[in-house]
Amino acid sequence: MRLSPRAKAAWRRCLTNPRVVTGGVIIGLMAVVAVLAPWLAPHDPQEQDLLATLLPPMWLAGGEARFPFGTDTLGRCIASRLMYGARIALYVAVVAATGAMILGTLLAIVAAYFGGWVDWLISRAIEVWMAFPPVVLALILLVGMGAGVNKVILAIIVIDWTRFCRVIRSEALVVMVRDYIAAAKLAGFSHRQIMLKEMLPAVLPLVITMMSIEMGIAVIVEAIMSFVGLSVEPDVPAWGVMIADARQTMHQAPWGVVLPVGAIFLAVLAFNLLGDGLRRALDTRLVLGRAEAA
Amino acid sequence: MMTLVAKGLSVSARLAGQTVTVLRDLDFAIEPGKILGLVGESGAGKSMIGRVLARSLPSGFVVSGGSLAFSAADGKVRDLVAMDGADLARLLGDRIAFIPQEPLTALNPLLTVRAQFDEHLARLGVPAGDRIARMIDALTQVRLSAPQSLVERYPFQLSGGMCQRVLIAMAFASNPALVVADEPTTALDVSTQATIVQIMRGLQRDHATAMLFITHDLRLAARVCDEIAVLYAGEVVERGPARIISQDPQHPYTRALQAANPPLRGPLTRLVTLPDQMPGLSALASLQGCRFAPRCPTRDASCETASPELRLVAPGHWVCCAPACSGSRPAVPPITRRSAEASGSEPILVVDTVAKHYPGKRDWMGRRGQGVDAVKAASLSVRPGEFVGIVGESGSGKSTLAKLIMGLEAPTAGRILIDGHDVTAPSSATRSIRLGTLQMVFQDPQSALNPRRPVERLVTQTMEAARSGASDAERLARATALLAETGLPPELINRYPAQLSGGQKQRVNIARALCVTPRLLVADEIVSGLDVSVQAQILNLLLDLRTERGIGLVFISHDLAVVRYLCTRMLVMHQGVVVEEGETDAIFARPQHPYTRALLAAAPPDELDSPWPPAPVQETLDATA
Ligand SMILES: Nc1ncnc2c1ncn2[C@@H]1O[C@H](COP(=O)(O)OP(=O)(O)OP(=O)(O)O)[C@@H](O)[C@H]1O
Ligand code: SF4
Ligand SMILES: [Mg+2]
Repeated sequence: MRLSPRAKAAWRRCLTNPRVVTGGVIIGLMAVVAVLAPWLAPHDPQEQDLLATLLPPMWLAGGEARFPFGTDTLGRCIASRLMYGARIALYVAVVAATGAMILGTLLAIVAAYFGGWVDWLISRAIEVWMAFPPVVLALILLVGMGAGVNKVILAIIVIDWTRFCRVIRSEALVVMVRDYIAAAKLAGFSHRQIMLKEMLPAVLPLVITMMSIEMGIAVIVEAIMSFVGLSVEPDVPAWGVMIADARQTMHQAPWGVVLPVGAIFLAVLAFNLLGDGLRRALDTRLVLGRAEAA
Repeated sequence: MMTLVAKGLSVSARLAGQTVTVLRDLDFAIEPGKILGLVGESGAGKSMIGRVLARSLPSGFVVSGGSLAFSAADGKVRDLVAMDGADLARLLGDRIAFIPQEPLTALNPLLTVRAQFDEHLARLGVPAGDRIARMIDALTQVRLSAPQSLVERYPFQLSGGMCQRVLIAMAFASNPALVVADEPTTALDVSTQATIVQIMRGLQRDHATAMLFITHDLRLAARVCDEIAVLYAGEVVERGPARIISQDPQHPYTRALQAANPPLRGPLTRLVTLPDQMPGLSALASLQGCRFAPRCPTRDASCETASPELRLVAPGHWVCCAPACSGSRPAVPPITRRSAEASGSEPILVVDTVAKHYPGKRDWMGRRGQGVDAVKAASLSVRPGEFVGIVGESGSGKSTLAKLIMGLEAPTAGRILIDGHDVTAPSSATRSIRLGTLQMVFQDPQSALNPRRPVERLVTQTMEAARSGASDAERLARATALLAETGLPPELINRYPAQLSGGQKQRVNIARALCVTPRLLVADEIVSGLDVSVQAQILNLLLDLRTERGIGLVFISHDLAVVRYLCTRMLVMHQGVVVEEGETDAIFARPQHPYTRALLAAAPPDELDSPWPPAPVQETLDATA
């Protein structure tokens, strides 16, 4: 593919930005671990060893090399469960953020392009939506739909498309007044062509930046939901489930809580670093502060 | 005693590891009560001189030599380059005042005129009790009526011309020894320009102020200034009395500038154009010898090696050109504006009393605010091969009319016909009628060219539209042909807009409109952002397109001379209404509507002996503004 000098320069800025590189490497490693979990994990995540419960990590006194990060109350390998947990976290992050991005960006571009009552309607919808506290909205949705990891994803999409829509609409409005949009109309482009070929590429840097931030949010939301038991089945190893399970024994075996919290923290930090770095490198100006101005 | 004397002033910049001389060895001097004009195209370094004065050079730029000796009324001579920053800050705004290019952005939109003027007077040490009287007095001097109520207004409630008058009043409030005006009228309409220039010159004479007048407009400089220095690529190429520089320039570049300006009166000849454009900063580093040599029509072998020095050719008249190569002016053929006229044939486009009302913005309840009547009643018709000009001031509805013609907006009243088909209401049917017949060239190529498309995919954009289904090879062939037709070198085909010069971008813009071989082009201010020498190239390109293709043109411009050069017929718009229409020559000779008369009188005439701006017209303009 031939890249424009702009795109090339943007790539170069991304690849030399320490935040982008740090965030990208952490997420890349997590993704590798998640995909290769069945081969990398020393144990099956559900395998119980009732003779070896609440073992500390191997570098502490009493730790065993069989269980590098120790075991939980049922003697399950924490390292293996963390690896499998990364699968859930990244799955939710990718699918939910992509869904919210597609819905939000689509509506944003449609609103900016058609203007008039279409825009009015979408803008009002965003306002009404954003008036609900997201946590309450999520709980209502999940109580209504029932628990499950795909329901969590759906809830994130249904709640967070507004975050994309609001910001991207104001960016798309800036693009709309460019004469090249009028020129495309005069060239006989269809509505769809103008939106996809002229407007979407112009807002893409912002979309990518917001995606990365949204993935961090999705990781947290999934962790909370699986902690309160509204996400995955209780026997599925998700980070939130691990924290919930280790709660009672927090005083004897703090690593049972500390390690999954650390994993969540690391993932969110990486997504935020990546997003922040992309925002600077792609020059999308202030991502969140600007929506209010429009 | 000279107010300002520049000696060997040089500015250099570090760019990508090399040192580039941005301004080279400038010498000039301004006497009290006189105006020195600095004339040059964009990138010549005009504004750099103002920035040296104000010590606001961009980062990486430094004064690398020379001096700027400033002497105020107290007789003390100070070197503005060497002096202490704090001392300089005391001089700036007091002894040395500035009039900026963009009056609206120079004023703080959140403060009333009174608050800003008051702050300025406080800085000058005027006691609080006297300030309002001083303010009213200063605003009266710039002929602002009802200054008492005006001072309570905010900048956005004033027109650009009024803002500029406020800024002029502020600049002269301290009775400065030197005023630096950087393109003070460029952002304003012709008629407003006339008023502003008159006010500025009046104040400057009364106060015996020395003035540095920076402009790209040689014709305006000739009217305003006593002396002119012409800048090219950071060098003074010619300096002398304004009258001589504008009437009998010696340097090939000044001659080219003069020849590139279409005249307002007299016979029209084809504009003589220079190839290319002024080298950019990075190109300057590798340029040897005379910096003008690559474009000079009279260069010889020695020009590319030896840098010429300024030499005296007549008392007070300096030229920077090797004596060996002062060539003679080439003869130019008269243009045939009339000959290609296809009179008698049916009009391609008929616009019948269209109007456009923009409703106000909806608030969050969906209610609408107050609207604007952008076009109230406009009619025109264009026949094949005909060039029709539309002139009028900013806000008179010219661009709106262009959008209506193109179907980018729907008129609220009236009809638009193309080849007899009614295309008033934009729809997919009317769009396809327009597509093959009518195309538009947009004003600002920066905004009209998608920065993510390479030239090839820009100029053949119509071939990408759903219906056409052209192959890549067809597109490439078409793009190559279009580049050749618009005088662009073929190697630009894979470039992106950011890698093109202003003139090249505008050619790409035109090439795109030509892709579907339309019979009529609508061009909205397509040369107003360009330098004169590049403007001349584009104007000639349009004339050639008519000769070769018989293309018609609706040419929107605020520049009367350009409209006269191109168009056989013209319309004058004023506040959304076409107030006059007819043959260009007839309108120039016998304007009927008072607004047309005012507009014509406001343009500075080529002959320096005719008075400008004429006083009685002035009043008409103030009344309409
Ligand atoms: N989309 C719009 N919505 C509301 N008002 C508009 C819109 N477009 C133009 N106007 C208003 O209509 C009037 C005519 O504008 P137009 O752009 O046609 O002027 P113009 O003659 O082309 O001026 P210029 O020389 O500055 O380009 C102005 O008062 C302008 O503010
Ligand atoms: S020195 Fe030579 S190249 Fe330079 S302006 Fe004179 S004739 Fe042209
Ligand atoms: Mg306009």
